[in-house]
Amino acid sequence: MADKTLYQKKIRLGDGLLKGSIYAAAALTFTVLLGLMGYLLVRGLPHISWGFLSHTYSETDPQQNGILPMLLNTLYVVGITVLIAGPVGIASAVYLTQYAKQGRFVAIVRFAAEVLSGIPSILFGLFGYTVFCQLLRLGTSLLAGCLTMALCVLPTLIRTTEEALLSVPRLYTQGAMALGAGKLRVILGILLPNAMPGILTALVLTMGRIVGESAALLFTAGMSYGMPRGVFSHAMESGRTLTLHLYQTAREAATPDAMNVAFGTAAVLLILIFLLNRIAWLLGKVLKKGES
Amino acid sequence: MTRLWKKPGMRPSCKRAAAMVLGLCSMGMFFLPQMTFVFRDIRYVASGWELVFAKGFWFGDAQEGSLIAVPLLLRLAVLGGMLCAAAGTVGLWCCRPSFSGIAYLLSGISPLVSLVAAASLQSTAAQLHIHEMSVEYRLPFMCVLAAGVVCAVLALWTQGVEALAQAVFLTASCVSIGAVLLLTVYLFAAGVPAIAQIGFFRFLFGTQWDAGQGKFGIFPLLLATLSATAGAVLVGVPVGVLTAVFLREMAGERVAKWMRPAVELLAGIPSVVYGFFGMLVVVPAIRGMFGQASIGDSLLAAIVILSIMVIPTIVNVTEQSLGAVPKAWRQASLGLGATPVQTVFRVTIPAARRGILSGVILGVGRAVGETMAVIMVAGNVAEFPRLLGSVRFLTTGIAMEMSYASGLHRQALFSIGLILFLFLMAVNLSFTMLAKRGAGHGR
Repeated sequence: MADKTLYQKKIRLGDGLLKGSIYAAAALTFTVLLGLMGYLLVRGLPHISWGFLSHTYSETDPQQNGILPMLLNTLYVVGITVLIAGPVGIASAVYLTQYAKQGRFVAIVRFAAEVLSGIPSILFGLFGYTVFCQLLRLGTSLLAGCLTMALCVLPTLIRTTEEALLSVPRLYTQGAMALGAGKLRVILGILLPNAMPGILTALVLTMGRIVGESAALLFTAGMSYGMPRGVFSHAMESGRTLTLHLYQTAREAATPDAMNVAFGTAAVLLILIFLLNRIAWLLGKVLKKGES
Repeated sequence: MTRLWKKPGMRPSCKRAAAMVLGLCSMGMFFLPQMTFVFRDIRYVASGWELVFAKGFWFGDAQEGSLIAVPLLLRLAVLGGMLCAAAGTVGLWCCRPSFSGIAYLLSGISPLVSLVAAASLQSTAAQLHIHEMSVEYRLPFMCVLAAGVVCAVLALWTQGVEALAQAVFLTASCVSIGAVLLLTVYLFAAGVPAIAQIGFFRFLFGTQWDAGQGKFGIFPLLLATLSATAGAVLVGVPVGVLTAVFLREMAGERVAKWMRPAVELLAGIPSVVYGFFGMLVVVPAIRGMFGQASIGDSLLAAIVILSIMVIPTIVNVTEQSLGAVPKAWRQASLGLGATPVQTVFRVTIPAARRGILSGVILGVGRAVGETMAVIMVAGNVAEFPRLLGSVRFLTTGIAMEMSYASGLHRQALFSIGLILFLFLMAVNLSFTMLAKRGAGHGR
């Protein structure tokens, strides 16, 4: 060993192994990611056409293989759920950060939100099915599904909105109060506008979650694929969203043509999620720019 | 023009007058026909008054027939709604706006309670084999609901906009807590009876799940869930943690800038899409690999899909907690002559272990609660789990059978829900406790 120089690196076998495993893990993760996305997009994108997006669907008639009703149902579920959960969630967050004394009550609400966000969506589905569909007699309808989804997304929405509200510098609100503005005016005029990018990010992420949800809607919103008959009456009808459509077509596909519908739906879902993700990211960038 | 010599709350205002008049109207609805009960061809039109004081509905002809009693809850709800509206009006008369606001709100909620109670009336009728019964709601019924809410707003408004706003915000957060409480209470109320009837140990450790023969043992489902979760954690955690290490410590900023959003995207992909991928790629691969031994839909396929699903969660959380480790610790370690790899494994990861653990627990929660992805790849046969055999999980058990289950079978499904809930509660509580201990140490 006498001829070993200062410049010769010691070979560390353990180090090499660990380093290799780190690279292997990263490579594995991204291969799987790219493989999954690539596979679904390559198989799915060719089936997305204007006709696919704008035609009706029927299980019995293979000629009708569009997904327009499912797109509309997804839009209904996202829209109504955000309309219900948004105001309630934002108002709760405002109360928790601005009015409530930071004591027991807030701790209980936080704990409740924590518990609720850990509950799997199938349990929400179970709950929504008995309470909204049966007890409140909404039947298997989009509205029942939306109410269930609203419960499902509320906890996360409250927590993220709270974070957005807390990130508004206290000097702003204190300044407004010192100028004689009432609490409500401070909230509506200073707090909410300043927290808006954060709140919007929370809402967009919520939308992504609603688009991707399936288990909670399985029993509550149902499986029908008919076109909406009326703008408002459709909320009381059953309708499957894109995720449930994918589930159903994938399970029952007997022919390659039927499987193509599933591939197309999966690709549409991926694109939707990607777009929502991008919007949230852009909003986040706006938020960061505002801070600096 | 504000008259300064009067206290603002005492001012006779048009809001107060309007609230009182509307409150009186809401009380008046009590005497108007509220619901129509239809038994086959007989229609009973019942006012609130009749709902509270009538004995019930006589069904059948004069000699033979049965009396369907009005449920107590329905009586209480209708009477309570009227009394609350009255209390609200009196409260306003005596200048107690916040009291009357609450009273009016309660009177507005009472129709919802009667709605629920009327549904129980229908199930009573079904027990007497009267299936053609339906309940229709008349306009006054809806009016009580609307009047209650409007009155509450007006009553609180008499105290000024600030008080109204605070009340609205408070109500919203009460709705959120109410939802959680309701869900918890409901899961217990719906889940406990079946467990009591079947027997706790026979339910939890019974080895056979066969609804047709009345055998409700969830042990196979429980074992399947546990083994799939364990498998997903065993594969997902090392891969996820090491990927996070790569992103935070090894990858250059340019590589990481592209990969981070990719991982976030992976976390947002709908579970059905994962299931679809598993069904088309993982299941045939397993079938091809093991040939005769497996049909492909198996525990192994579920483990593979669940591992893929928990990795993004673990990567995100781990990366954040690795980022929170002070830079000086790393520099100190490097300065003492440790190699970068030694630094990562001896300093950075141990320092971030609480964060990593919470990521793991989040991943466990996701794996245990996952339904739609595993339903598509696991085969759903309620047998003892074998790696290459078809299995059914707690969640998929609910999803598969809910649409047609009835009676004890259905209650047993709710009991499965309760077991799932309790399990996840325990996981969640340990998560909260860990987070608290981590905060106490102060990284």
